[in-house]
Parts: sequence; structure tokens; C-alpha cells
Amino acid sequence: MSNSEQTQSTRRHWMQGVASGITGAALAHLLAAESGGTRLAATEKGIEADKRWQDLQSRPPHFPARANSVIHLFQNGGPSQMDLFDPKPYLDAHHGQSMFDKIAGEVENPFSAGAIMRSPFKFAQHGQCGMWVSDAMPHLSKRVDDIAFVRSMYTTNLTHEPAVYIIQSGKMGPGRPTIGAWTVYGLGSECQDLPAYVVLDDPLGLPVNGVENWQAGFLPPLFQGTRFRSSGSPVLNLRPDFDRPEEVVQQERDLIASLDRLHKLQHPGQSVLDARIASYELAARMQLSATDALDLSQESADTLEAYGIGRAPTDSYGRRCLIARRLIERGVRFVQLYINVHIWDTHTNIAADLKTACDRTDQPIAALLSDLKQRGLLDTTLVVWGGEFGRLPIAQLPADKDERKAGRDHNKNAFCSWMAGGGIRGGTIYGATDELGLHAVEDRVSVPDWHATMLHLLGLDHEQLYVLENGLKEKLTGVNPARIIEGILA
Amino acid sequence: MRSMQLIIYWATCCALSLTAISLVAADDLAASNNQNTVDESQFAIPPAVEKLFQAKCVRCHNSDARKGELSLASGSDLFKGGESGASIMPGQPDESLLVEKIRQGEMPPDKNEHLSAMEIGIIENWVRSVSASESSKPLDQHDVVPILLRRCTPCHGRYRQEAKLDLRTADAVLRGGKSGPAIVPGKSSDSLLIQKIRSREMPPHQRLVEASIKPIEPLETETLARWIDQGAVQSPPAGPTSLGSSDPLVDREFWSFNKPQPLTVPQLEHHADRAYNPIDHFVIPKLAEVGLELAPEADRVTLARRAAFDLTGLPPEPEALREYLGDPQPMAYERMIDRLLDSPHYGQRWARYWLDMAGYADSEGKREQDLPRQNAWRYRDYVIEAFNKDKPFDRFLREQIAGDELVDYESAPEITQEIYDNLVATGFLRMAPDPTWANITGYVPDRLEVMADAMDVLGSGVMGLTFKCARCHSHKFDPLPQRDYYRLVDIFKGALDEYNWIRPEIHPGIGPVSQDFIGGRSLPFVTTAERRAWENGQSAIDAQIAALKDKPDSQAQIKALESQRTPEPAIHALWDQGDPSPTYIYRRGDPLSPGQLVSPGVPLMLFSEALSFDVQPPWPGSKKTGRRLAFANWLTDPDHPLTARVAVNRLWKHHFGTGIVKTLGNFGKAGTPPTHPELLDWLAIEFVRSGWSTKAIHRLMMTSATYRQQSQVGPQQLKLDPDNQFYSRMPLVRLDAEALYDTMLMVAGKLDDSVSGPPVKLAVQADGLATPMGTQRGYRRLIYVQQQRKIVATHLENFDYPQMNPNCLERRDSLVAPQALYMLNNKMVYELAESFAQRIENEVGDEVSGQIDRAHLIALSRTPGDEERKLSSAALERLREQWSRDPSTDSAKARHLALTTYCHALLNSAAFLYVD
Repeated sequence: MSNSEQTQSTRRHWMQGVASGITGAALAHLLAAESGGTRLAATEKGIEADKRWQDLQSRPPHFPARANSVIHLFQNGGPSQMDLFDPKPYLDAHHGQSMFDKIAGEVENPFSAGAIMRSPFKFAQHGQCGMWVSDAMPHLSKRVDDIAFVRSMYTTNLTHEPAVYIIQSGKMGPGRPTIGAWTVYGLGSECQDLPAYVVLDDPLGLPVNGVENWQAGFLPPLFQGTRFRSSGSPVLNLRPDFDRPEEVVQQERDLIASLDRLHKLQHPGQSVLDARIASYELAARMQLSATDALDLSQESADTLEAYGIGRAPTDSYGRRCLIARRLIERGVRFVQLYINVHIWDTHTNIAADLKTACDRTDQPIAALLSDLKQRGLLDTTLVVWGGEFGRLPIAQLPADKDERKAGRDHNKNAFCSWMAGGGIRGGTIYGATDELGLHAVEDRVSVPDWHATMLHLLGLDHEQLYVLENGLKEKLTGVNPARIIEGILA
Repeated sequence: MRSMQLIIYWATCCALSLTAISLVAADDLAASNNQNTVDESQFAIPPAVEKLFQAKCVRCHNSDARKGELSLASGSDLFKGGESGASIMPGQPDESLLVEKIRQGEMPPDKNEHLSAMEIGIIENWVRSVSASESSKPLDQHDVVPILLRRCTPCHGRYRQEAKLDLRTADAVLRGGKSGPAIVPGKSSDSLLIQKIRSREMPPHQRLVEASIKPIEPLETETLARWIDQGAVQSPPAGPTSLGSSDPLVDREFWSFNKPQPLTVPQLEHHADRAYNPIDHFVIPKLAEVGLELAPEADRVTLARRAAFDLTGLPPEPEALREYLGDPQPMAYERMIDRLLDSPHYGQRWARYWLDMAGYADSEGKREQDLPRQNAWRYRDYVIEAFNKDKPFDRFLREQIAGDELVDYESAPEITQEIYDNLVATGFLRMAPDPTWANITGYVPDRLEVMADAMDVLGSGVMGLTFKCARCHSHKFDPLPQRDYYRLVDIFKGALDEYNWIRPEIHPGIGPVSQDFIGGRSLPFVTTAERRAWENGQSAIDAQIAALKDKPDSQAQIKALESQRTPEPAIHALWDQGDPSPTYIYRRGDPLSPGQLVSPGVPLMLFSEALSFDVQPPWPGSKKTGRRLAFANWLTDPDHPLTARVAVNRLWKHHFGTGIVKTLGNFGKAGTPPTHPELLDWLAIEFVRSGWSTKAIHRLMMTSATYRQQSQVGPQQLKLDPDNQFYSRMPLVRLDAEALYDTMLMVAGKLDDSVSGPPVKLAVQADGLATPMGTQRGYRRLIYVQQQRKIVATHLENFDYPQMNPNCLERRDSLVAPQALYMLNNKMVYELAESFAQRIENEVGDEVSGQIDRAHLIALSRTPGDEERKLSSAALERLREQWSRDPSTDSAKARHLALTTYCHALLNSAAFLYVD
């Protein structure tokens, strides 16, 4: 065991100690932080289940889980499948031929539609599995044997906002809990000093739909994602916005605690008041633990180098990948990484712009996979990569029709996503598109299928993970049947 | 594929005209069963298959019960399919829904009834042998009109008729346009319509997006051609059929589908002395049944604080408190309640619950550019005023559902306050998140989402029904067949028409917008007084500018004057355009899969002879359909089984913590049954009897002994009534976001009490912290602060302000660490603590015990107890000493800072956040 690993394990131990330091009743209620529990799913177990599902305490899954935490690398914008993971020789052979009439209904911007366009990238096979990856991703291509690629994803809308709502929450529109919210609702958290669902957004800006990407919808707000900023104060209002002597701060804290204890004594039987006191204690601990989790100075120079931290263009995303690992180590259940809006949305200049997107993310993601594996965390962590849709085989031309500046428009009928880690059979190539890469044709995977598979790996049955909302059973996967993608499971 | 072919199978069953409006709405099915005589021999099913259907299926899928709208009782029924579409695909068992359901064991539902492999084989073989021609019927206009509507009418429809061509109806198609008739019956290849489509000239690919339509599919072209070749047949309209009460899909027995029956208030055998009013007569016996009685009455201070927060969302001011505590007369409590009900703060509080239910927001949402709704705030003000004036609830609903059909505003000589209110009220149906102003999110499915949200808000919020379930399939729990959803949609078609869509107002520079842009959602009919005031303001500016025009160096002055101009006042509204598109059931909710034509109607399960749904033009000569007015009148009929019940249940919830029906928006079978059904019915009847007076119901509830109980909970209550469903005490309530914020303003003396008008803007920091902007007098109540969907005040976000997507029937009540972080570390909270301290210093000077007493009185409506006083004095003395250690702080400043810290602690105390 290396030195730093030892420190980690001690720290984790310490945090668990702190967590159990609160008196049992108060903690139980703090974690059961919602009143009016009848709104939540009452299962056969009745009220017991009711109370369990309103807190963040770790709870057993429906069946043995293959992974117990998730790192979701969300790639907003629609990464181009035929330029990254799904080579199409047909496009080389038919480059320049028009096919607009056949696909007019599938083009978001028909006035800029061009002819069939070959990929500007070179493909080669990699790893034991022989996965095809383009030269835009030299680092990831070394990790293909840990990854299961699904080439046959499809969705139902070809505009960013609705498609992002769909991939995050299963439904075209805001207001539904996201996959992260469902996960922490179903499983709680291993760590009570940090939020169960942490979002690492890009200082350069939020993705499409902004904070709605980590909403809890009709689940209690307890289950929504909490933004951690990778620089500055990690959480809003974590530190005071005004200066006061430390002794005054301490005096005030003591006064609040004494007043609240007195108030509690006058209200016997109101366990919510114990929880209130505990929430103030937790707030104080969070100030320490959040700061600690984000302190990358505790990492070795080699680690920082591997993630590309300290140099352009990988520094920003590299930091978030490394912080993701540190959060997972501390027991955070669901970590979601974002890049600023639309870096994959290559409507123009695909040769240059797609490369730029890869250059920012390729090395950090590959490093994250290696690092997790090396630390034995990959077996229990599910890493998920993907965007909201794919791109078209035809060119999209700028106003001056200059083909050198061509890009690709959105495609809802085919895209490629991947999973790695806990429960995933590495080196799998699943599903296929037609010769153009226009439609997923073989082993098609819908977004609900994808969600059901994620939940399945976490030991959750998508049919059983529901809440009663206004008397109705609401689920991530909706009312239509969803299927587990057995072919990518270990 | 399937969706297209089923249009072919559907042919004979749609026999209604597009314009037929029946008085009641069950005619569609009756028509389909009676109008066309079907030659059954054409659809023969082999005996072996028929035997299987008889044995396994027709118990539910017969021509009466028609589960899922499907009957397997005859060949013709079978080929019609059900609400999910065609039951079989000729020749293709793998593509046939019926085969799939049987194979998967989904049907029959009973496991013991499942078909054997051999039996499944018999059905598969038969499906394989069926030829397409066997199942196809002659086409009529209902097979082609939906195609024309979705592919052609943006440019050849109501608002635009390029080449003078209208393609909305079969007659109009025959009439044709500039180049003559669009079709030649019997000869599709000679028909211009088909020629233009086949040559790919129409619809023009390059202009699809600007019109928010998709290209026509080859199968659709084929259907059009076949209809023409078969002679362009139009089925005759069906006459209105009377509504039978025997629709097998509709079970009216459930309690909430029948009107509340008058009942006598039960006599009390025990504890009669505790009862103040009839409410207690229903509550006390239920408590006795579980071995409990009402908790003791709370003291006056507690009651004053509870009542003030309940009715106004603010604590009692010290003077008001003194008035009540010092009133020795009987009825002092009742008078205190009346004073609160008369306060303008009452409407500001209770409007909030309604706005949550309606899904109020100041922006459209759903798109990255969160398009502002410039005039939504008028609806907010309307709701506040309606509560303050105790507008009768039935009138309140009628205005919101059909305000545009109440008075002829277009020819009114003067726009009165009443007409203005009518129109502003219709904003209720415009609250759903809406991306349709942009061409790429303005397609028919996007519009249908907006309509579905509006139906959901209306259904769950006002009617207590989960209508949204029936959009794609018949309701799984309630007797709401899919057609009832589309009947309801058809009521609103005059205003919410996916084929004549009025898009949200667009402002320059916001992005690509559609050419298929109709009007915008603003009406100019503000009150004549407001309009004149605005016009006068503009003329004054014009005059000043004119006077400056010729003077040298007046440019800057002119510019300054120009900037004083305000936009023309307008109302964010919804109105009937007349001449709505026909409504077809969309199978599985898919507009590409139109089923039967329906006409406007109310849910059959709520139908009774006594409740009329009578569609008439709202006034002679009006182009408006009058459908929503008919609906609003039906909904607010005193005998309506749901309206009053749903409304009083919501009032009850906000006073007592949980509804008598806990699922506020679901009074159906999947909802929670009422804990006190008689009480609910008695209250509903009382509500109607009082002239739908909301304030009367507040009075009734708040003067009950049940309401006046203390909130202390003992072991017996915890054991026998753990969830307080028998109301054995009052709940201890956490202040919600608005009450907490407004109360901080009030105690700090920073509450700017001005009313109405455009929302207060937010100041947003780079890290996302969003804080309401101040005014010269302080800060306005949160209800007046901007509520854009994508940027919400951090305070609201921390304290469970809901996402209005589309609405919120019941807020959460969470308790999480970020709330503590916010209250302890946020700058605005600290500054309010400082103002609070300043106020105390102004009122009582700087003596410690006086400050502590005053602070308690202002923040907690009471004096401190001995322990609190001891703790507080020690802390305040210590704080003074600690603050004065800094050499740069003089003693007066140290005393002020110490009091600020103390006040900050009080704002952070549980006693401040929780109300007994």
C-alpha cells in the first residue's frame, strides 16, 4: 500500500467515525430529511420503505450490484460516431454524392445540407478486441479492452435541449429526475459528509439546459446534484461572504446550538428538530470535507502529469477527472462531469473542431480509467461516456459552401456511447449501424434501454425503482418496456 | 410502417364530419358502430382462430367492454385494431401487436390462461395467410385529412394560402387553388396534388424547417393517391347521438365521480364541549375511534403567530399582536382572523399556492435562451387580487378557463377592469413551458407537449384527475378511456390547435424563428384607463421631443427622453380563434397514428343528466367556438362532483398540513382515499353554499377547535396517530421559502410593501448566486421577484422552490445542510441581521435585556423564557467584549456588531424557522 493510499484509507475511516459521532436518532432523522413522506413509494413493506427512501443513508440494492458508484462523462453536443468509433468505408467510396432527398426529414438545417462526406480521420484497430478508433483519440484507443462500445444507440429528438432532457431523465422535457437523482434515491450514499450526487461543471460554462441536467424533478431536492466548482469555493455559501473574528463565529455557533437545544426540550417528540441541529453540524463538517476532496496538492506529480493537469488543453478536464476519482474514493455515489456547451457540436470544421474536443478530453479520460483500474476502483465504479445524439453522414456546409469548412448536422437515429468498469465486459463492440452510419440497425439500444442497463449494473431493477407521484408510479424508464443490454455485461 | 398502414385499416370506422359537434360526446363510438354496415364475410376468421379468441380474449375484448378500445368479437372489429393501433399486420406475424402480446405472455393477463405454443402457432399461421387486400377498406376523408394537416397546411391552410390553395378539408382540396382543383377524383396521376408531391416539389424540402414540418412519407403519398383513385370518397357526417349511460368502459361507482350528498352534522357523544364548529364534529369521533381526543388548545400567542403565517406568510407585527392579546371580549380570536383576511398580505400568500398549481413562470423555458414572458406578471397580480377580493371561486375558474368567451372584448366600447381581468385570467392556460417559438422546437409533437402540460395542470390541479395517463392509452386505474383525453383536448382546440399554432412572442435577436408564425400571444386590451395613461405618457414624450427638435445640441436630451418610453401595454393571454382543426385520437400519443375523430366532450365518468355541457357561440355572431365556456360552466356547476372537493381539500392541506385526500391532484382510484370523507363532502357543499367564498372556508377551518389545537406531540399521539392523519394535533411547520424570506425582510424593517407590477430582477454572480435586487425602500416580497425557469433566486432554490415543469401541487419540505450554509454565510442574510439590529437599537436603545426582549418580540412574537434570557444575555455581553477587542472598533460599533451577530443567530434559530 502506498503512502498516499494509506492516507486515503485513514481519512475515509475518520470521516465514517465523524458520521457516526452524531447521536443515532438525530442522524437518522437528518438523513430522513423530508416530512410528508406519503408522497414517496410505499412498497409492500409499507411505511418502513417510505422512510428509508427519503434519506441518503446507504441502502441495499434490489439484487447484488456489479458497480456501486458512477462517473458519468457527459459529452454535450453529439459526438460524431463515424469520425470516432464507427468507421464507414461506404462514405469514402461515395464521398460527394447527394442523398439529401432521402433524409430531408432527418436534417435539422436543410438549407446547409451537403453531400455524403468521408471522415477526415484515420481509423485503426486497437487492443485485444480489435476495436476501431480514429486517430482523434490516441489515448482512449489504448484502453479499449476495458470498454464496451455500443454503436447502435438511438434517440427520438434531434434538437439539443429535448435530446439532452431525454438522455438525462428519459423524457423530452424538464421536470423529471435525472439518472443521477434516481441512483442516489435508490442507493443512498456511502459518505454523509459530502453530497451523494456531485456535479463537476466547467468553469467555462454550463451545458445545454444548465442546472436542469442534475435536477431531482419530483424527487425530494435531497437527491439533486450538487455543483462542486473546481476552483474557488467549491459550494455556494460554503464560506461566509463577510469577515468576522473566529471567536465571534464560534460564539454565534454555540449560541445557535444552545437556543436550538432549548427549543427542542420544549418540543419533545419532534424529531425534526434533532435533525435541524444535526444539519448545522453537518454544514460545518462539509466545509472541511468538501475542501479536502478538492485539494489536488495531495496528489503526486506523476498522477497530475498522467491526467494532463498543469498544461493546456487538458488541465481543466483533467482536474475534474481527478477530482471525480477522489470523490468516488470518499464514497460519493454519482459524479457527473461536464464540459462547456457544445464542444462536440461540430456543425462546421469537423476536422479541426472534433480534434480540439478530443484533445481536451482524451488523455484525462484515459488516465481516469487507468487510475481507477490501478487503485482497484474500476471493478466497482461504472464509467459512462456519451452525448445526446450522433451526427449525419452528409456534410453540413457553411454559408459560403466551402467544403473545407464542412461539419455534420445532428442525427437522432444513430450514435455511439460506451461504458467501462463494474459489471461491464471490457473489449465489447455491441450493435451496428447501416453502411452509412445513418441508422442503428442491429441490436438497437434506446435511451430507456441504456438507463435500465445502468441501473441494472447498480443492482437496481428499473421496474421497481419508482416513486408514487400524485398516486402514479413514476419511473426513469417510463411506461414502455426497456431492455437490459445483456451483450455488454461481464 | 405500422403507423402508416393502420390508417388503411381504419377506414370504415370514422364516419363523422369534421364539424359535427354534439351536445354530449359519446357519439363517436356509437357512430362508428352504427353508421357503416360492414360485410362481415369480407373479414372471415378461420374457426380455429375464432375459437381461441372466444376462449381467451373476448371476455374483455368484446364489442361492449372493448378493453384498450379493441374488440376481437368479429373480423371487422379485429381489423380495426385498438388504441395501440392495428392488431395484426397482414402476412407478418412478427410485426403484429396481437401476436407479440400473446407471445410475451402479456395477454391474456392471467398466467393460467396463456396460450400454448401450438395455439400461438395457429394464430401466427393465420396472420401469415391474411393478405393486405383482405384487411383494407375503402378510404375516406379521415384517412387523408390528417396527412394534409401535418404536411401541407402551414402554407396551404388557415393563415397562409399560397397559390390560393387551402388543404384543410376534402372540400377545399376539391375546390383547389390558383391552378385549379388539387385533385381529380379517380385519377391520382392526373391530380396536381400527387404530381407536386411525387416530383418532390411539395412540400419544398428547403423550407421544411422554417414551417416546422417534416417531409411527406412515401406511404402517406400512396394513401392520398389511393383515396383519389377510389373516388375521393367523403363519409357523410353522423347526426348527434344521445349519450348512453351504458358505456362499458366507464364505471361511475367510485366515490369521487359522484356528487357530494348533503348530510347532517353528527352529534357528539363525547367531548362536545370542545367543539367550536361542525368540523370538530367530524374530527372528534374519528379520534375517539383510535382512542384519542383533541389536543389542548394552544395559547393566544401561538394562535396569533400560526394564524398570521397561515393567512399572510408573515409573523404578526408587535402592534397587531398587542391588539389581539389585549382584547378581552369574546370573539377576539375571530376578529383577529378577520383582520388577517382583510390584509393585502393575505392575497400575496394564497396566490402563491395557486401560482404553484398553475405553474407560474416569467419565462418560456425548455430552450437555452429562456425566452421571457414579458406580461406574465399581470396574471400573478390578477390571482393576488382575486384572493384579496374573495372572488367567488366558480367565477375565478370560469375566467381562467374561458375568460375570452365571457364578454365580447373586441367590440367593447371600453375595456373595463372586468374585461381586462377576464383576459388576463386566461394566462392560466398559457403557463406550460413552451419552446415552440423556435422553428426546430416548434413541430407538432412539441406543440402537443405544451397542450399536454396544460391539460395536466387543469386535470390534476383543478379536477383532481390524472388525465395525462390517457394521452397514450386508456387510463390504467380510472375509467378514462383514451378518447376522453382527446375529447378534452378538442374542447380547447379553438385556442390550442397544433395545426393553427399561435407561437410565443418573439423578441428580436433571439435566434432562428419560424415563418409559420402566427400573431403572438399578446392582446392589447388593457383597461382603457391604463391605455390612456400610456398614450398620454407617450404623447408627452413626443411633445417634448418635438419642442427640442430644432434646438442645437439637443441630441442627448432627446435620447434621454426616448429611453423613458415604455412598451405598449399588453396581456399574455389565450383566446379562441374559431374554426379549429379536427381532433383525432392519437394512438400511443403519436400524431403520425391518428385514430378516430372525436368531438368536444367532458369525461364520461363524470357525466350526469343534471350537468350540462352545452356548446353555443358565446354571443350572437361570434366566431369563437364557445367550447371552453361550456366546459367552464360544466366544471363550476354546483353539482360537479370534483371541483369543490378538490378546492376545499387544497385549502385544508395548507391549513392542516395534509389533505383529507393526501394526493391533492389525484382523486381517482390510484389516489389516497379520504381520511374523513364526510367532512370533505360537508366542506365542499358548504363552499358552494357560501357562494364559493374562499374566505368563508378559511374562517370555518381556522375557527375550529381542530385548528386551535397545540402542536405538542405526546407518546400516545405518536403511537396511535403517527402521521397525524386523524388530526390529533397541529403540525410543527417549517417556513417555506417565501415565508422565510419575507419574514426576514419584515423583522429587519426592510419590507417594501408595494404591490403589483413587473417582477423585480435578480442580481446573478459569476458563481451562480442569485439575489433579488433591492428597491429604495428595501426589498419586495418574493412573489414579486422574477421567476425565470433557468435562473431562480438562490434562496428559493435552497428552500424547495419547485421547478415549474409544468407545475407543483405540493412543495417539498426538506432539511439539508446547504440551507444551513446559506443562512449562516450568505451576505444578504447577514445584512438583514444588521438592519434588524439597527431597528432594535432605534426602538429600545442599547441596553442588553431591552434588546433581547425586543428582538424576541419582533422575530418570535413573544418574550424570551428565563433560560433563553440567561443564555442570550451572556452571549450578547460576550459578543460585545469580543467585538471590542479589535482596536479599530469603538464601543458603540462593537455593541452594534454584537447585536448584529445576536440577531443573525436568532434568524438561524429553529424557533424562527418553525411555527407551532
